Amino acid sequence: MIKLTIDNTPVEVEEGTTVLQSAAVLGIEIPAMCYLEGHSCHPSCMVCMVKDADKGSYFPSCAMPAAEGMNIIASSPDVFDIRRDALELLLSDHVGDCEAPCTLSCPAGMDIPLMNRYIANGEFDKALDIVRNEIALPLILGYICPAPCEKACRRKPIDGAVSICLLKRFTAQDTGRRLQNLMPDVAKTGKKIAVIGTGPAGLSAAFYLLRAGHDCTLFDKNELAGGAMRYNITEDKLPREMLDAEIECISRMGAIFQLNQPVTPDFFESVIIPRFDAVILATGNRNNQPVEDFGLTVGKDHELADKKTLKTQRPGVFACGNMIREHEMAVRAAAQGRIAATEVGTYLNTHVVKAKIHFNSSFGHLTKPEQEEYLKESSPVIPVEPFGGFIAGYSEAQAIAEARRCLHCDCRKPSSCKLRIYADQYSVNRKKHLGPERNPFTKSVHHNLIVYEPEKCIRCGLCVEISTREESLGLTYIGRGFDVRIGVPFDETVSAALKKTAEACVKACPTGAMAFKEQEERASTLKGITLDHPQPLTQKT
Amino acid sequence: MLPSPENIIQTVEQIVAKRGRSVDAAIPILQDIQQEFNYLPEEALKHVCKITEITPSRITGIATFYTQFRHKPSGKHIIRVCTGTACHVKGASRVFDAISRELKLTIGEETDPEGLFTLEKVACLGCCTLAPVIKIDDITYGHILPEKVSEIMRDFLTKSRNPNHKKAVVRSFTTEVMGEIRIGLGSCCVASGSAEVKEELEKILRETKINVHVKQVGCVGVCNQVPIMEIIKPGQEPAFYAKIKPEEVKAVVLSHFRPEGFFNRLKNNFVNTFENAVIEGEPTSFRKYAAEQRDTPISEFLGPQMAIASENRGVVKPCDINEYLEGGGFSALKKCLNTLTPQQVVDEITLSGLRGRGGAGFPTGRKWQMVKDQDNAVKYIICNGDEGDPGAFMDRMLLESYPFRIIEGMLIAGYATGAAQGVFYIRAEYPLAVKRINEALLICRENGFIGTSVMNSGFSFDIRIFEGAGAFVCGEETALIASIEGERGIPRMRPPYPAVKGLWGKPTLVNNTETFSLVSWIFRHGAEAFAKTGTSGSKGTKVFALAGKVNRGGLIEVPMGITIRQIVEEIGGGIADDRKFKAVQIGGPSGGCIPASMYDLPIDFEELSKVGAMMGSGGLIVLDDSDCMVDIAHYFLSFTQDQSCGRCTFCRIGTTRMLELLDKIRSGKAKTEDLTHLEKLAESTRQGSLCGLGKTAPNPVLSTLRYFRHEYEAHMNGHCPSGKCLPLITYKITDDCIGCTKCAQRCPSEAIGFKPYEIHVIDMEKCIKCDICRQVCPVDAVEVV
Repeated sequence: MIKLTIDNTPVEVEEGTTVLQSAAVLGIEIPAMCYLEGHSCHPSCMVCMVKDADKGSYFPSCAMPAAEGMNIIASSPDVFDIRRDALELLLSDHVGDCEAPCTLSCPAGMDIPLMNRYIANGEFDKALDIVRNEIALPLILGYICPAPCEKACRRKPIDGAVSICLLKRFTAQDTGRRLQNLMPDVAKTGKKIAVIGTGPAGLSAAFYLLRAGHDCTLFDKNELAGGAMRYNITEDKLPREMLDAEIECISRMGAIFQLNQPVTPDFFESVIIPRFDAVILATGNRNNQPVEDFGLTVGKDHELADKKTLKTQRPGVFACGNMIREHEMAVRAAAQGRIAATEVGTYLNTHVVKAKIHFNSSFGHLTKPEQEEYLKESSPVIPVEPFGGFIAGYSEAQAIAEARRCLHCDCRKPSSCKLRIYADQYSVNRKKHLGPERNPFTKSVHHNLIVYEPEKCIRCGLCVEISTREESLGLTYIGRGFDVRIGVPFDETVSAALKKTAEACVKACPTGAMAFKEQEERASTLKGITLDHPQPLTQKT
Repeated sequence: MLPSPENIIQTVEQIVAKRGRSVDAAIPILQDIQQEFNYLPEEALKHVCKITEITPSRITGIATFYTQFRHKPSGKHIIRVCTGTACHVKGASRVFDAISRELKLTIGEETDPEGLFTLEKVACLGCCTLAPVIKIDDITYGHILPEKVSEIMRDFLTKSRNPNHKKAVVRSFTTEVMGEIRIGLGSCCVASGSAEVKEELEKILRETKINVHVKQVGCVGVCNQVPIMEIIKPGQEPAFYAKIKPEEVKAVVLSHFRPEGFFNRLKNNFVNTFENAVIEGEPTSFRKYAAEQRDTPISEFLGPQMAIASENRGVVKPCDINEYLEGGGFSALKKCLNTLTPQQVVDEITLSGLRGRGGAGFPTGRKWQMVKDQDNAVKYIICNGDEGDPGAFMDRMLLESYPFRIIEGMLIAGYATGAAQGVFYIRAEYPLAVKRINEALLICRENGFIGTSVMNSGFSFDIRIFEGAGAFVCGEETALIASIEGERGIPRMRPPYPAVKGLWGKPTLVNNTETFSLVSWIFRHGAEAFAKTGTSGSKGTKVFALAGKVNRGGLIEVPMGITIRQIVEEIGGGIADDRKFKAVQIGGPSGGCIPASMYDLPIDFEELSKVGAMMGSGGLIVLDDSDCMVDIAHYFLSFTQDQSCGRCTFCRIGTTRMLELLDKIRSGKAKTEDLTHLEKLAESTRQGSLCGLGKTAPNPVLSTLRYFRHEYEAHMNGHCPSGKCLPLITYKITDDCIGCTKCAQRCPSEAIGFKPYEIHVIDMEKCIKCDICRQVCPVDAVEVV
């Protein structure tokens, strides 16, 4: 056995154990990208750096055998700095978007490319599931959303944006599908939450509260639910049966609607506050009802609610929607309703919310040749016009045709890409080392299972090792130095190279360079509760 | 013309039959294929994969890793522009650009449309004293000016079309041997024309029937005076003739030796006249110096030097084993085999204080001990001759001039550590070294110095040669080993050290060429004698390639602890052209710049690393006040960036980003925060890189930032104090212009209007800053501002 010290804690390990593995014994997680258990360890990413406290030098822990008497520092500002530098250097040579521009510009952050892929594949149920991860009211918003996503669509300058809004509506058009899978199989929390107001924010909040297993009662002064959507938007823009249909969904999920119930200050203090574990205020424009009715004040130096958590000054009282800022898009109000519902779970300690990955790499506009690269994966048709006009919406065939126009700008490993996870943990500045020019983005979509995007590659070589073990062709390094890339010998295709090992390569690839065409889901919804990676790293001093 | 598929397959079959089918044959196979077709046809590579164990992945990986390999057919002739340090400071990039223009190459193209010439850059041709240097096929041209480029290419084509250009000369013998004439035939001597001198000499001797022994000796070291001819005559002091030209040979020979025959007297008269004229008249085209004469460039050059690695320099013929034996050759090996145990041998090396000459200075004795202590029946000895530093050619000189000495060192190491096999890893760019070592190994095998039971001692040891394929990083021992194993030359993580797990997983001793060449001396003179020389931490001597802005450059071997001043002033004869000493760059791309304020710094491992430089492999480039330190840092970093294997993040991307920052600084676009950023990035690249290449790559930047920060700051303000950084300078014609129109005629970008008898004007919009106008101006009316 070998005795060594890591972060001042002694540990005893068997001979042949690496420093990285020894740290794991102590529960010290060291980030590593090119390292994969069971493969030859040949350090390249240099993200797993630790410091030899005696010599003052740094080395990659994945490949260093633990030695008797070693004194290792794995957690200190300078060690974090050098890891961060490695990540920042890798990102300076990383051309690819974590999230597609449409998703980024959607106030609710809907996973649009994934929705498109499911629609294009005819998997409409899955498409609706993806939509409902972020959007509770796809049918309604499918009529009234101004669709900022479409303005950001990379297809727009080519031959017109993908009609995302119509596609989203399409997923919820069918009544049977809409009423399916409304509620995931979750345990009841026993918590009661009041939602004041039944506009987009309130309905959305209710939807996600119910999905999280809370009881939810909605209060509204009007005789019908819907708020501004019912009373401010004309019927020709939003057919009322659509509004009713989606309210029906929330009703079916178990929401209690207390309509014709104005929430006066007295009612609020004497009925709602004592009877509910938390309250979400979604009463819309403050002209409808002043915030003072809920015992709140708005001053020069403080907002009604915290921007991130939507918490008001009163414990257990959250605010969202137009109440916070006037003239918001319905989709933003709805998005806030979801956030408020999530934050209630955190407040009541019923849920540990998956740490959302905030880090995002994005490289901006496509050049002409890059547009060609992206078009490889999409249908060349111009935007599909619904036969019966905008109100009628898409038929299935039309939806499929339109969804196929998506360029798939997103990364297909939004949750498992280690570069993104560590970039987030280490709060990197992705622009720190940006060079004067970026490489042109390319993608190889020839293989039936996987997509290979070389500009996201960190040259760890795991795929070369895995593929050459079994394949007759396999992958190889081409070139040297900064220009080295992973490619296929003799300019053959990726399909020819990876006949048996494509799946293994995707799983081993630490970034989104190699990914399944079928994308994984993002880890930012209430559906998943467990953490798939540690909380953002806080520096110990 | 492209080779036919049948031809390719047939050739590949033959090559594979010779080289074998195993994976480690990959590099030699590729080298042979390229030798045959001058590039690597894809069909050939595919066929190799078909008939050997080499996979498509491996062959592609290797073929694209090493710079030696070409993937497109080259032109009929290859022009190699040396971009070594000495050439760089003397304007190699402008020479390159001028040839590019001459060949009408567009960016990214290497071969001209007619397929006549292919233009390449090489790290170093090792003729630093002739800088800037280009080599077209086998002909080397030195002291190139951009404006002379077209002339040189014409000259080459004339020579290459003349079938009599090269011919073997056989000298006829007469009776009495009247003396010996030595001619240096190291690479730089050959480059300077020593072969032509030798040819002429042999012709004259044949004609005059003067019977003297003509001896080809290895590198003399006085590279600044090449070609050198030394005349040894019994009863007379030896005489050196420096910078001799073929047409002068006759006069020199006749001044020493009396020809047999009719015109004897007449010729002697001629010689006398000639000699007088030369001695009195200045400038001289060649100079004669007596060996012991004081105050001559040669005696001064050799004065403070001490020859251990280069013992008997300029005296011995490289592959003459009898001469080697007469000079005590293999007596050290004999002593070890007959009187010392392996442990005693290691102890002696340890006692001598010898440290590895490859750059880092690891104690040699300790390395040997580590290998010896490994309990393994198979061990290897590798001589690292993959010298790739621009501006360093010590290993080449040693390999070319003293092959037996190095072999003896390896044999002793083999005996001490228990190894039976040795490998010479020699850069492919050193064909002469490969040839000499091959020859020497053959002779050793014939004479029982290698093979089974060396010198009948029962100790068996054999040595083979592995030719590198052009990758600086292969100087790193683990990358070198990977390369021998038929892999991409990627360094591996240490530990395990090669001493424990090296070639084919066996304990392997990797020492530098110079280290091995010091070993036999230590056993012949004793460890104490060796340890007496040098400083407390660094014993013995060190060979440096002295070049740059000194009057006398060349290969020097000096005792450790000698000061920079002594080297520059005493050996180098001070700064050339009456300029001011600014700095020395020691250790090449891994080293650093030492400023004039440290002129008296003693050179040894510790002192150099203390001041941010490094011994490196021993390039020593002297810089004067016309050299821009930002440019120097940029030069070295662009070398390491280009040579990075691309494995680890810090080296692959870090050096690239640093280089981009330096580009920004050089073009005057940088801001203060860029400088801070550069410094921090240099620091993390130093700390975070996996191997020595990456760890030391920032040294040239860090050391220039440390001592010449003000120059960086000047660039921030849009000013290059030395007038070197092209984006920050402009050309101007002064009122001194006489209107001769030379500049207008020669300007390649038509930036100067043709105006006879008027003052010319440069259109800066069109000017490409090629410097030709300044070079051709007869009245120095072109200035850089």
